[in-house]
Amino acid sequence: MTLREDHEEFLHATLGSMDLVYNLARRFADRVEDTEDLVQETYLAAFRAWRDHRRPRRVDPWIATICLNLGRSRYRTRERRPIEVRIEDRDFRAPEVGEPELAAEATMDREALHQAMWRLPEEQRVALTLVDLAGLSTAEAALAMGTPRGTVLSRLHRGRRGLAALLWAEVREVEGP
Amino acid sequence: MTIWSMKRRHDADRNAAEYVSGELSGRVRRWFERHLLDCEDCWREVLLGRFGKRVAEDAREAVPVGLRDRVRAAIMLCSD
Repeated sequence: MTLREDHEEFLHATLGSMDLVYNLARRFADRVEDTEDLVQETYLAAFRAWRDHRRPRRVDPWIATICLNLGRSRYRTRERRPIEVRIEDRDFRAPEVGEPELAAEATMDREALHQAMWRLPEEQRVALTLVDLAGLSTAEAALAMGTPRGTVLSRLHRGRRGLAALLWAEVREVEGP
Repeated sequence: MTIWSMKRRHDADRNAAEYVSGELSGRVRRWFERHLLDCEDCWREVLLGRFGKRVAEDAREAVPVGLRDRVRAAIMLCSD
């Protein structure tokens, strides 16, 4: 196979995963420019693996793993990190039955949503992105994150609960008393 | 997860995460839905999980215009 055919085959197989890669990279890089760089770096690393005949059965978990590894090594040592809060420590009253469904329909401020996501611990952000945004199963997410499935389930639920805790007040403000 | 293991080890977080993610098999899901009628802990966690999942889905950001082309160009230039 020629290099050009390799290029085309790779792009055909992987460009559909860009939405996943971009949103995953967004959980590591706060600035859009840095996110775009991480996406490009991910695709280049994936292409090198592809050329080495390390081709996946399913592209999404494979390319997510590459992005996760790059993101972790690039941003874990970064001085400026988002302030992470322990949601479990917050005084949070669970919403009454039926309220969450109504609340989720309310318009939420996009910036508040982004900030709330950034206040979660990194591993919870990643689990939410892989499962709730990208639609990976928890088994696939476990493979990508290199952790047991039970750990992913725990991070996923804590992340969901954390977002609910952080944004519940926001929704109430939008809806009014 | 099996019904047996769910009964044996009551873990509201894990059960809710699997249920909200749609990963319980038919028989186990039916058992869990009956369980939700009696278990306040699991019910609360399911409500929070559903809300959080909806919020997380709303956090999706669109790929910026031009990024796809930039990546395509970078790959086409890559020769190693």
